[in-house]
Amino acid sequence: MTSLLDHSRGETVGYSFSQSTAAPVRQHGFYPYTDNGGSTLGITGSDFAILAGDTRSTSGYNINSRMVPKVFKIGGEDETGEGAHIILSVVGFAADGNALKERLDAVVKMYKYQHGKSMSVSACAQRLSTILYGKRFFPYYVHAILAGLDEEGKGALYSYDPVGSYEREQCRAAGAAASLIMPFLDNQVNFKNQYIPGSGEGHALEQKKAEPLPQETVKQLVRDAFTSAVERHIEVGDHLQVMIITSNGIEEVFHPLKKD
Amino acid sequence: MAASKAVMRGPTIIKAEDDKTRQLNPHTLMAFSGEAGDTVQFAEFIQANIKLYSMRNDTELSPAAVSNFVRGELARSLRSRSPYTVNLLLGGLDPVTEEPSLYWVDYLASLAPVPYAAHGYAQYYCLSLLDKHHNPNISLEEGMKLLEMCTDELKRRLPIDYKGVLVKVVTKDGVKEIPFDNDRVARSA
Amino acid sequence: MDKLVAQYSRPQHQNDFYSEAEQQELTEGMPPLSLKFALPPVDNRAAFLRAMTDDHANPSCPIKIAHGTTTLAFRFQGGIIVCTDSRATAGNWIASQTVKKVIPVSRLSRGEDKPSNEPTPGLLGTMAGGAADCQYWLRYLSQQCTLHEIRHKRRITVAAASKILANLTYSYKGYGLSMGTMLAGVTPQEGPALYYIDSDGTRLPGNMFCVGSGQTFAYGVLDANYKYDLTEQEALDLGRRAILAAMHRDAYSGGFINCYHVKEEGWVHHGFDDMNPIFWKTKLDRGEFSNVTSEL
Repeated sequence: MTSLLDHSRGETVGYSFSQSTAAPVRQHGFYPYTDNGGSTLGITGSDFAILAGDTRSTSGYNINSRMVPKVFKIGGEDETGEGAHIILSVVGFAADGNALKERLDAVVKMYKYQHGKSMSVSACAQRLSTILYGKRFFPYYVHAILAGLDEEGKGALYSYDPVGSYEREQCRAAGAAASLIMPFLDNQVNFKNQYIPGSGEGHALEQKKAEPLPQETVKQLVRDAFTSAVERHIEVGDHLQVMIITSNGIEEVFHPLKKD
Repeated sequence: MAASKAVMRGPTIIKAEDDKTRQLNPHTLMAFSGEAGDTVQFAEFIQANIKLYSMRNDTELSPAAVSNFVRGELARSLRSRSPYTVNLLLGGLDPVTEEPSLYWVDYLASLAPVPYAAHGYAQYYCLSLLDKHHNPNISLEEGMKLLEMCTDELKRRLPIDYKGVLVKVVTKDGVKEIPFDNDRVARSA
Repeated sequence: MDKLVAQYSRPQHQNDFYSEAEQQELTEGMPPLSLKFALPPVDNRAAFLRAMTDDHANPSCPIKIAHGTTTLAFRFQGGIIVCTDSRATAGNWIASQTVKKVIPVSRLSRGEDKPSNEPTPGLLGTMAGGAADCQYWLRYLSQQCTLHEIRHKRRITVAAASKILANLTYSYKGYGLSMGTMLAGVTPQEGPALYYIDSDGTRLPGNMFCVGSGQTFAYGVLDANYKYDLTEQEALDLGRRAILAAMHRDAYSGGFINCYHVKEEGWVHHGFDDMNPIFWKTKLDRGEFSNVTSEL
């Protein structure tokens, strides 16, 4: 405790509040991060949640591998993840992503051994936030999305920033093609900027209300989102890994994506 | 007959009674702020040129014409070796239609016709107030009240003493200074 | 023989995964909130962190942290109004439009917002600056407040709660935390109390605060129309209007208007409403925002 508190008071520290934009960019010899590209996406429905990610792994303009999955089962009984009821996707720096996955997996397993019951998704979501915040001063370079079914059996999806701020949402895209996929999702899942025809004139036109979508529709949206992202982003492609979590368990499928 | 108003503030230096406006022709007024030296030089250069135009052609330019001329000069200067760093507000009345208009011009020679405007730190405090309380049919009296709200807010929140404001109004009868109570005390909640 | 047993009773790869100490830590439900934060192996940690995460100082930084924006709170005759926007940005990217920037700080009121009008006892905290910093430390504060409640058999005062938070942020001064938060609550000892706490370690009691990049716009509207004698409805409307003003002029603010009223019995939620219809209603019905055209 003391080691953290006896920091020097003399150094000047800027916050994004007060830093002037002209602040020089500091160079550092220590750069422990790289971006391995790729994108992930999650959508929930009334009784299911879907997490998907492409399987390409890049560094710069090189493609390192065409089969590095980004979606993981958390808290399963063995290496295959059998019996898991929570899924996690991580995108960004793959090494940090793996470390985070291992850590959360260990926590969820220990919870089960200790308490004799599996961890609820909401508890797991809060715990993941604390894990990420534990590295607030040396962050995991990842955008995580956690999915499962809540206490009422409804699909639950939680999205995180690199240092652990989180929020439950209906849908979320993360990673390299987030800026391509997220606006599509806003329109197709939350019906943003869709209006009910004939509901009024001009500014009185009524917004279309968002409602949970059926599983088949969501699966098609996920495939469409990724085939489109592949067309316009160099770091996305090869295969699409999709995990669907329902009361019957987790189903995992792979679809081919373009390999160029 | 309603008229628009031009607002001006002395921002930082210790001259309490500075006039940061220049009258360009009988019904156009320009307020300026920016780099010391540049401001007055540029304003008086514009003033002289507008006067020259009036004398040569025996007609007055409309506020729209004046602003576009000013913008052109600023754009030309921007591409020279030593550009003027001046932010401007141009207010005036069209001599023919008697329509009031206000133009916002910054030192990068962007020009925008607006119903109300501010430059510098003042805009962070005043624009939200103007958004709320301005309407296109505002009377001079209401306008002065609104200006008072703005200066009160600046007195409350700006950590700078701007030594009050000088208020001028452009009407169809020309430009005139309006007395303004700068000693009002604005209290914070 | 003992030696032989010892040799074979331990798994060979015992050091490959987590050490016993680490396993112990994983076993405990929550890590103790003592300062067990991982630190980068460099001399100047603050500079490292800034180079990696501060998108304002370094727009091309690799890790963009979600930031929150306009929040306000003010005291009036009927208690305290707390209003926020709901936008989170990471650089120019709008990370979310649905952030809950008002965080209940107390054991009793944790959990989902319930739609009922029943007041919920406890304090409210607001979130501006780093979203994770605010979420995490307000949760920590919530834990401390609950402990206080258990130890002393009465609810914590806003003064004490804010002091816990201010001491905390001050102890981390220089580490790059970024938060500007307000704590609001009504207690028997203090009446309605409002405090501002930020990551510099500042702690101020006051009647009215606006925090975030849209603060000036909110102050503009609030200062001009504020009176202590506002009715509850007037106060709520003024809070909403001030947030709307900030959303209109500040690009880092937007989304939904989130409104709370804190009174003696506890806090009441007064809606999480899309700004767009409210904006057009304000413009078309009241003739405000004359800089925007309503032509289609």
